[in-house]
Amino acid sequence: MIIIDNLHKTLENRKILKGINLSIAENECVGLIGPNGAGKTTLIKCMTGILSYENGSIRMDSQPIEQHKKDIGYLSQYTDFKAWMTCRESLLFFGQLSGLEKKLVQKRIPTLLEEVGLFGKDHFKVEQLSGGMKQRLGVAQAILHNPRLLILDEPMSSLDPIGRNEMKKLMERLKLHTTILISTHILDDTGEICDRYIIMKNGQVIGNINSQLQHVDRRKVLLQVKDMKNIDRLKMHSDFESVQFLSPHTILLSGDKEFVLKNVIKACTAQSIEVITIGFHQKDLEQVFIEMVSEI
Amino acid sequence: MNNLFILVRAELAEALKEYKFIWLTLFFSTLGVTQPLINKYMDVILNHIGDTAGIVIDPNRQVPNATDVFLSTISGQFNQIGLIILIISFMGLIATDRNSGMQDFILTRPVSLYSYLYSKLIGHWLISMFSISVGVLVSYLYTVYLFGTFSFLKLLGFLVLYSLWILYLISLVILISTFVKNQILIAILTITFAFFWIFTKNFSHALSQIVPAKILTLAEHQLLDLHELNYVSVFICLMLTVLNISWAGAKFNKF
Repeated sequence: MIIIDNLHKTLENRKILKGINLSIAENECVGLIGPNGAGKTTLIKCMTGILSYENGSIRMDSQPIEQHKKDIGYLSQYTDFKAWMTCRESLLFFGQLSGLEKKLVQKRIPTLLEEVGLFGKDHFKVEQLSGGMKQRLGVAQAILHNPRLLILDEPMSSLDPIGRNEMKKLMERLKLHTTILISTHILDDTGEICDRYIIMKNGQVIGNINSQLQHVDRRKVLLQVKDMKNIDRLKMHSDFESVQFLSPHTILLSGDKEFVLKNVIKACTAQSIEVITIGFHQKDLEQVFIEMVSEI
Repeated sequence: MNNLFILVRAELAEALKEYKFIWLTLFFSTLGVTQPLINKYMDVILNHIGDTAGIVIDPNRQVPNATDVFLSTISGQFNQIGLIILIISFMGLIATDRNSGMQDFILTRPVSLYSYLYSKLIGHWLISMFSISVGVLVSYLYTVYLFGTFSFLKLLGFLVLYSLWILYLISLVILISTFVKNQILIAILTITFAFFWIFTKNFSHALSQIVPAKILTLAEHQLLDLHELNYVSVFICLMLTVLNISWAGAKFNKF
């Protein structure tokens, strides 16, 4: 659906994007992550047509993305609206700018506000809304015209835990029929929503993390043992740098080299430790991300 | 075209909600009555505030006619204090949208950059011309009441040409806003450029032919019986306005 090829962007004599290549499939939900200054927001601004770019191309369905503005919904990092407008007026304004009939927008507004958790707030002025409420209104304007591609820049940054939870549910519903690109640096928020993460650093895509796959850490072994007797003896073993007690029957062995499970069982048996289950430690997304970013 | 209309309507609605229409109109109306009042009651004012020993009022001095008074209202009040306040009221026309993220929301819609820029130009031109026109009308009525009549048609001719100068000024604010983000600096730079053009038109005859402020001379000539309509000045003013917006558009993409 989206193909970005060798995209370059310079801002104030500084190269922000240095040959971005990526693709996003139809109905895929992709997270865009990277440390601050990686170029995520610039990439998003190029994709939405806010910024032009020097080299490369961004294509949607094989056509320049500029021709698909009607198909894109966008929520910026800093959400604000005309303070004097009511929620209703704001949505009417953006709906009409998207080429929708006034009557159609008016009909959609109550459902839309309910969907983003602002039901009954249609006559509230923007200046009366909290930061979180403005964020929700931002989402409402982004999905108002049923876009095929939804681009969200830090959508949960100013939401409280309840708001985040509601937003996650909304994303889950939207991803059934919409392609979503979410820029974030809080992986906890999008962990369950995104199918894949694109990692950016210094204006380049440095890798992908498939959130459906399990990421194992072969330098850490999780053991469930019958009892903790003789466990301390493992500390004497040269392969094990540390032994962590996680629960009355669970320990985590760490080393500086990758373990072979067979050898770990042998070492335990040698110390008369009865192993019930054994497996490599699963890394969470944040760990995988930090490792990828710090490696390059 | 439809989007341009929607955006202009939003600009006008904003000016209404923020009472800009009211305070700007009141301001220009006040300016409009100040000069005729000063001219009419100068003797009284001087008698009250001056030390009689130091002020000698020439009893044979020429009494200004209605056109002279009105011209001094325009060149003295509207083109100096009025211009400064007008520019200050416009200084955030792009910067506010940019800082709030509203600009991003608008430009990600199927709205062309030029629709957005021209909506700012047209919207603020309509707001200013409404306020200025009311101020000019109030000034005209006061001047006619105190100093005698002059042609209303001449006044309309003046207003049409003066509105082109205002159009140019707004385009200048838009252009400077694409280079500078600080609102105060935008205002200072625009005021400096505006006064520079006004100064240049009086300073050099050759240069005055191509400066946008020449349109002011042309507007003033409509009030005097100099039936000069220099189409070159009209064309240059309009062309520079379009050029400013085009330049702003080209620069905009590079932000």
